[in-house]
Amino acid sequence: MEIDIDMYDDEPTQPRKSIKPQPTEPQIEMGATQEFLPAQPLPNTQFAQGVPTVPLQPTTTPFSPRATVSRRKFMGVSVAGLAAIGGAGAAAAIGGVALAKLMQNGGLGDPSNGPMASNMQIGHLLRRAGFGATPDELTMYRNLGFNGAVDRLINYQQVSDNDMENRLNALNIDLNSPQNQQRWWLLRMSWTQRPLLEKMTLFWHGVLTSSFRKVGGPRAYMRMIIQNQFLRNHAFDTFDNILLGITSDPAMLFYLDLTKSRKTAPNENYARELMELFTLGLGHYTQQDVYEGAAALTGWHVKGLTSQYYPQDHNDLMKTYLGHTGNLDYKDVLNILANHPATPWFIARKLFTFFVYENPSDDDVKPLVDTYVQSGHNMGEVMRTLLLLPQFASTKAYRGRIKSPVEFTVGAYRAMNINGDGAGLPAITTLMGQTLFDPPNVAGWPGDKVSALWLNSGTWMTRLNYIDLLLARGTIARTNSAPLVNLQSIVETHQLNTPEQFVDHFSSFLLDGELASDRRTQLLDYFTSQDTSSRGAPITLGNGTSYPFGRVRGTLYLMMSSPEYQLN
Amino acid sequence: MKLTRRAMIKDGLLVVSAGMIMPAIFSRGVASAQSQALDGSRLAQSANDRTLIVVQMAGGNDGLNTVVPFTDPLYQKLRPTIGLSDTKVIPLDTRLGLHPNLAPLKKLWDAGHMAIVEGVGYPNQSLSHFQAMDIWQTLDLNGNGSQGWLGKLVSGLVDQEGHPFKAIDIGVQTAQALQSISTQVPTISSVKNYRIYPDPADTDGGNARLQALMKLYNSYPGTAPYAALLDTTALSAQDGSRQLLQSDATYRPAVTYPTGPFADGLKVLAEAIVQGLGLRVGYVTLGGFDTHANQQATHDALMLTLGNGLSAFYNDLAAHGKADNVVIMTWSEFGRRVEENGSLGTDHGTAAPLFVLGNPVSKGIYGEPPSLSSLDQNGNLKYTLDFRSVYATVLDRWMGASSKDVLGGSFGTQNFLPQV
Repeated sequence: MEIDIDMYDDEPTQPRKSIKPQPTEPQIEMGATQEFLPAQPLPNTQFAQGVPTVPLQPTTTPFSPRATVSRRKFMGVSVAGLAAIGGAGAAAAIGGVALAKLMQNGGLGDPSNGPMASNMQIGHLLRRAGFGATPDELTMYRNLGFNGAVDRLINYQQVSDNDMENRLNALNIDLNSPQNQQRWWLLRMSWTQRPLLEKMTLFWHGVLTSSFRKVGGPRAYMRMIIQNQFLRNHAFDTFDNILLGITSDPAMLFYLDLTKSRKTAPNENYARELMELFTLGLGHYTQQDVYEGAAALTGWHVKGLTSQYYPQDHNDLMKTYLGHTGNLDYKDVLNILANHPATPWFIARKLFTFFVYENPSDDDVKPLVDTYVQSGHNMGEVMRTLLLLPQFASTKAYRGRIKSPVEFTVGAYRAMNINGDGAGLPAITTLMGQTLFDPPNVAGWPGDKVSALWLNSGTWMTRLNYIDLLLARGTIARTNSAPLVNLQSIVETHQLNTPEQFVDHFSSFLLDGELASDRRTQLLDYFTSQDTSSRGAPITLGNGTSYPFGRVRGTLYLMMSSPEYQLN
Repeated sequence: MKLTRRAMIKDGLLVVSAGMIMPAIFSRGVASAQSQALDGSRLAQSANDRTLIVVQMAGGNDGLNTVVPFTDPLYQKLRPTIGLSDTKVIPLDTRLGLHPNLAPLKKLWDAGHMAIVEGVGYPNQSLSHFQAMDIWQTLDLNGNGSQGWLGKLVSGLVDQEGHPFKAIDIGVQTAQALQSISTQVPTISSVKNYRIYPDPADTDGGNARLQALMKLYNSYPGTAPYAALLDTTALSAQDGSRQLLQSDATYRPAVTYPTGPFADGLKVLAEAIVQGLGLRVGYVTLGGFDTHANQQATHDALMLTLGNGLSAFYNDLAAHGKADNVVIMTWSEFGRRVEENGSLGTDHGTAAPLFVLGNPVSKGIYGEPPSLSSLDQNGNLKYTLDFRSVYATVLDRWMGASSKDVLGGSFGTQNFLPQV
């Protein structure tokens, strides 16, 4: 029988992108984002400080040849040397890193994997279970102790987020456009007092994912927000409820074509990805299970911004699915999956990788699997177990992942306490490799699994340029004509009297104060180096000494562009 | 990506003796780096200015609606609604015709610059996007590989000649095909974003600040997390951005490219070729081919984007006198199910045709279109040609590389490129 339902048909003009994105994101070319990294030199009016009328030049300055030529020649020799060592396997003469160092290189981590020092723990917790912190937040959480901080993060209902909601409401963001949806969520993450709730929502968005590009066309974009609110409202619910909700979620129904599935002609898309990517992983099912699962899942259809189950459109034949036989329906399928022995391992690995470190061992994730089973699949309990694992606060976990684009962008916005409208943020995260509500494909972001994939030459420069934009250009917030970061005011508020105090202040909440002394010295050298031609009013520290504006701002830029700051 | 050049070679000598205890990943890394260095020197000897452009059609392109067996009655029977009728397709011969939106490619065909390789696949094809993409890119038929076939090809080349642009990946994430343990491939979303902007307060164009930053990277301890990745990324970006900015100042495309990211990406690759940046491998992705439902509008649009983009790219190169130096090949992780589904779409399939384009290409249809009457148990096509044979052909006959070293075996070559 034919069922009359509103599906907001796909717009042919929006080619969907369920697998791997276009090389660059089309929305970058749209109006609101033009202000980011403009092709033309910026007009002077956009500069935060009083800047003379010399047009901005892109960086074309030749760099010290030492770093390029000598290194490269060095490489050539070394590669040849490497080739020469081949056969005998006795001794290899190559570069100069001790073996023990090599083991840790590339994020392999400290093999000893002991506990991290206590001064690092709260900063680490707030980066992983949130998006970093301002100095005030750090103090507040530190006073709770580690366990108390975990409690506050998990028992988020006890923390009011009205301030954030009011600030968002004041911006009057029209959520019918993808850019605005991204902006809305990025600002939530920046301003929330419930950071773990937003982080967990982000985690689920990367796993049980959908994209605005295939959600039913512009009239149906709001389905993405409905899905987002579902993931937020149920972030710590049982996995059974999460599976039920996402299966009947309007955006998901459209994204993976379950709404198009008919009892006489089941569509395989959702049935396959539900097992491969949401619950079991490859190797735990057959193509026959895909067929049978697809038949069992029939009956759901989107209806505007809601969804509805039509029993008359459910395939009533006998099915055998993952060893269970009967007239199975979606409830049976989800029940089988939530109770399948592979599921807790699959989800626990994803959580551990996202929140702790990559390539966890079976022993690492076993406590999460146990909690899943013992708690009746309660994800809040699983998360509590995770945050209290010794591995979570281990040296191996510390700076053990590359920050994702969202973590980097929101992290800086949050730590610097920016009160803008976030208009440039979506384009920035896109250029860094992550567009919210638009994962590259149904497997989510590869960087969530292997964080090194977030970083390449292009995305690295975007990170730098974002910091530059945040500190120096002030065009991220259109409604805010004042500089986003007022350094003179920060110096006065925090009574920063010396260059050392300046560096240490920012290091304390941007880098947990974990800055090796030689690297601190490099920053101080830059801060105190001469620059008689710097534009802008000099910054006067508490000791009465003035320093060139560009050097002071540049020091902060260096800290936020440093290798250490790229790590989470 | 884990163990990059810096890890191997940072200032001084590393002695690896047989008796040392090495974690598995490290010993694999050393062995692999050794073989790569050998590959690299071998490749360098046959260094040429030939370029390979690889176009990934992500999501599983419907091969049967791309190169259409329009005279096969089974095709029309199995695809009663989404099948392309003989009045629509652009016939190439009595069996096969192109999707109507590939008309720009038909011109290349007529000029003798296009080959179609049919029935491309591999044994026991995966119906999972992700496993299939892994297999095509890393050559590990179990889908557990990490190093890409193109990464293997370009590693060892990048540093020796001082060019960061031996390979370019268009986008914001480096494709798995280009992943290598010793090389970072520049990944470019657009030329204007591939640069480091200075602080407007600095009057030296940002030089002092950039120097201080590079020093922070250069002195980041090799023992610290992600040291090799961070250091090589910064170096590659700093070198490359300067070079690209200079080349961009004088590059003028000879044609008007279509709008959109796919053509924008091709334009960046054309610029690298025309401006002599040393490009050997360019990589660009067109996504959206996972057409489970209401396939036609989506697939039509994608075919249009593909045909118009590649045609503009070719014409730009030709106008700059570079068309003889460039070969383009397409691939997709799988084709789609022969029989259409109940949602006016197609589910995951197996074998599919791919295109090889360029002046050096010998026109024709290679391989054998799989039979529509002899399908596998899932209703999918049985492949007739191993994808690694296509790779071997472009490696041996075009790139002057040893396909045996890159692919780890011999898979035969096809005649769409002339024997060397």
